[in-house]
Amino acid sequence: MNTNPDILLVEDSQNDANLALYALQEDRLANSIFVVRDGKEALDFLFCCGAFAERSFNHPPKLVLLDLKLPRVDGLQVLKQLKNDSRTKAIPVVIMTSSDEERDLVEGYKLGVNSYIQKPVDFDQFRATVKTLGLYWLVVNRPPVTIGLHSERSSH
Amino acid sequence: MKTIGTDATPIEVLLVEDSPGDVRLTREAFKDAKVHINLHVASDGAEAMDFLNREGTHSGVPRPDLILLDLNLPKKDGREVLEEIKKSPTLKTIPVVILTTSASDADILRSYSLHANSYITKPVDLDGFLEVVKSIDSFWLSVVKLPRGPNS
Amino acid sequence: MNTRAKEMPVTADIVESKRPEETVEEVLASSKAQLEQLAETHLAQMEEGRRLGEHALQESEERYRLLLDGIPDYAIFMMDAQGRILSWNAGAERIKGYRADEIIGHNFSCFFPQKEIERGRPEEILRMCAANGPHEEQGMRVRKDGSQFMASVTFTALRDRSGNLKGFSEFSHDLSERRESEARYRGLLEAAPDAMVVVNASGEIVLLNVRAEKEFGYSRDELVGQDVMNIIPEGFAERIIADGTRSAAEALAQQIGTGIELVGRRKDGSEFPIELMLSPLESAGGILVTAAIRDISGRKNSAEHLVKTVGELKRSNDELQQFAYVASHDLQEPLRMVASYTQLLGKRYKGRLDSDADEFIAFAVDGCNRMQGLIEDLLAYSRAGTNGQVLCEVSSEHALKRALTNLKTSIEQSGAVVTHDSLPSIRMDETQLSQVFQNLVGNAIKYRGAETPQVHVSASQNAANEWVFSVKDNGLGIDPQYFERIFVLFQRLHGRNEFEGTGIGLAICKKVLERVGGRIWVESELKLGSTFYFALPEGA
Repeated sequence: MNTNPDILLVEDSQNDANLALYALQEDRLANSIFVVRDGKEALDFLFCCGAFAERSFNHPPKLVLLDLKLPRVDGLQVLKQLKNDSRTKAIPVVIMTSSDEERDLVEGYKLGVNSYIQKPVDFDQFRATVKTLGLYWLVVNRPPVTIGLHSERSSH
Repeated sequence: MKTIGTDATPIEVLLVEDSPGDVRLTREAFKDAKVHINLHVASDGAEAMDFLNREGTHSGVPRPDLILLDLNLPKKDGREVLEEIKKSPTLKTIPVVILTTSASDADILRSYSLHANSYITKPVDLDGFLEVVKSIDSFWLSVVKLPRGPNS
Repeated sequence: MNTRAKEMPVTADIVESKRPEETVEEVLASSKAQLEQLAETHLAQMEEGRRLGEHALQESEERYRLLLDGIPDYAIFMMDAQGRILSWNAGAERIKGYRADEIIGHNFSCFFPQKEIERGRPEEILRMCAANGPHEEQGMRVRKDGSQFMASVTFTALRDRSGNLKGFSEFSHDLSERRESEARYRGLLEAAPDAMVVVNASGEIVLLNVRAEKEFGYSRDELVGQDVMNIIPEGFAERIIADGTRSAAEALAQQIGTGIELVGRRKDGSEFPIELMLSPLESAGGILVTAAIRDISGRKNSAEHLVKTVGELKRSNDELQQFAYVASHDLQEPLRMVASYTQLLGKRYKGRLDSDADEFIAFAVDGCNRMQGLIEDLLAYSRAGTNGQVLCEVSSEHALKRALTNLKTSIEQSGAVVTHDSLPSIRMDETQLSQVFQNLVGNAIKYRGAETPQVHVSASQNAANEWVFSVKDNGLGIDPQYFERIFVLFQRLHGRNEFEGTGIGLAICKKVLERVGGRIWVESELKLGSTFYFALPEGA
């Protein structure tokens, strides 16, 4: 199990997860993608604790794809904690949600989300969207490099 | 999916860039954009803040939907502009894409720490540059849902 | 300048204090007192001995002789009231040249020069001594071999308990010996490369050499008897003068052997940095201190100069670094403009301009691209080896593997076979080492001949404990006349059309290695191949 993936996909819908994985891998945009099913798992992963205590803050994913409606801890909560901690706030987070609530949109940007995407309903459009965002965040965008910045063992 | 970016409601993009050559190139590149945009230009950091705060000669300008920000600017430096934008309760929701020649890890990390939304290093070759602008267009202006401010 | 027990009286004698005789007297007086006592006792015992018996007498004589013989620098003997010699010690034998059996019974006047004997000097001395008490004088004496020497002599009358004159004791010393030692000491002092000053426990200068005169600008007379604070205002006197809580000897003991940095002051008031080396002298008058004084203005200057030079070098390096960074950074932008717009021209007006225009544009764009490459390489070169990371033990095999991973594509494309021996752990920055391997192996593959490139990496330790790595290939080889040139920045042996590249790889290797005290060189034969060697110093 590779726990230093390029992308962390936080998605509770199996269907949407599969679709995203398919789209990203088709163009070989990402070397590795890791999927977690709820907000708590996402936080454990990114804060290197619980089941992911072996992970290091020095190898964050290049991108976090974050659904909003998640069990246990919801997406905005996850986002808030990520962007408020100096060890994780530089990690690019892209919200991918079916919600069309203006409230969620504004709150997301206020909390510092890097970009906000509404999942297209259409299958093909969904795939196209994921490819575009994959291309942008993994090829065009420059992720922050944090190797050596953090001392090896930290816990949440 | 998108209601903006049509002729009726073009996307307002603020380009903060001091090199006239780069400004022109960017304009040329956006000519092929999928969406309709209004490109505004500020050539230094102070002018950028005036524009965003709708001060001085920029009192009637629209609020940008997206900011493309160079780091090395005369007068007020791009890093300062970024900090001011992201500290302002009214301006912080505007996505800021750093578009700069610097490829230094320090600059990259610092920008993200100051809550830049994205960081792009300007390619040295023309084709590369055109590609980058194209992808800004296809992502930020097409796929992303941009926040519209308190009074758009 | 450490003089000890035997020469103790010598040192005391050569000291030029205000009252020189006093010191000599002190020394002689104490010994004299001892001997007088002994002599008296002996005489008394001799009297009693007749009563006590030969045996006892022999014993006491034995003891007496042993004691006297233990003082080889002094002639000590007894005479009867007429001057006939009764006893003789080893010192007397040494100084006067006569053995005991030769001289006992003879009159002591034989030690005097002929003229003195004719004048009746010996008897006169005995008369004066009997009448006035202990008599001291310096006079010429004659040895057995006829040679004459200046002696310092003390006569003491010996009386029995009733006060009757029984005889005399003579206590004498060869002043020429003393003078010789003195001369020797003075000679040493004068010959010393440093200024030498001898100071007493009160901080007064008692002796100095000619260098000291020169250093401080005084004549000897001006300094002798003066307080040493006149020439060393602070730090010396305090160390010498017993402050009541400890003796001068203890105070001194703490300083011995260590160089003390102080400030010296010349007669004209000017001051200069000095270093003191102290050593003690014991004398009857107390502890004396010999100080070797060295002017260290030169050393201080050169130390400061060194620090300054290093500081300047570092600054200059930082400036160069900054210049290279700024130059390449600032050069990029206008270059981009020229390149981009030229290309845009080409695109926009494609087909609408003549073929010459197309060609001109192509040259212009090509020039820009090359310049861009050079600037990037210059930047990389200026940055090479400067990310001063702490050196720690790294596996050079691991560094090589990293390099090979980066070269995966070119290895696959060329079918190259890269092998290596087991490589050591060394102290080096792993990234930089990997960079060196990548450049060398990359070159080995790039500059290949007709055959499949074969590259072998190995390492061994040489006599100087350096680790010498080698990267051997079977490629094109290099003409010996270029062995040095290839390491120079941007120097290439092939045109751009033959092999791509700007000629920066080896320059970077050289810079990176030399920064850690290593070096790089090549051995090669055209058409057969090359072996690049690089050495890392010990401690690696």
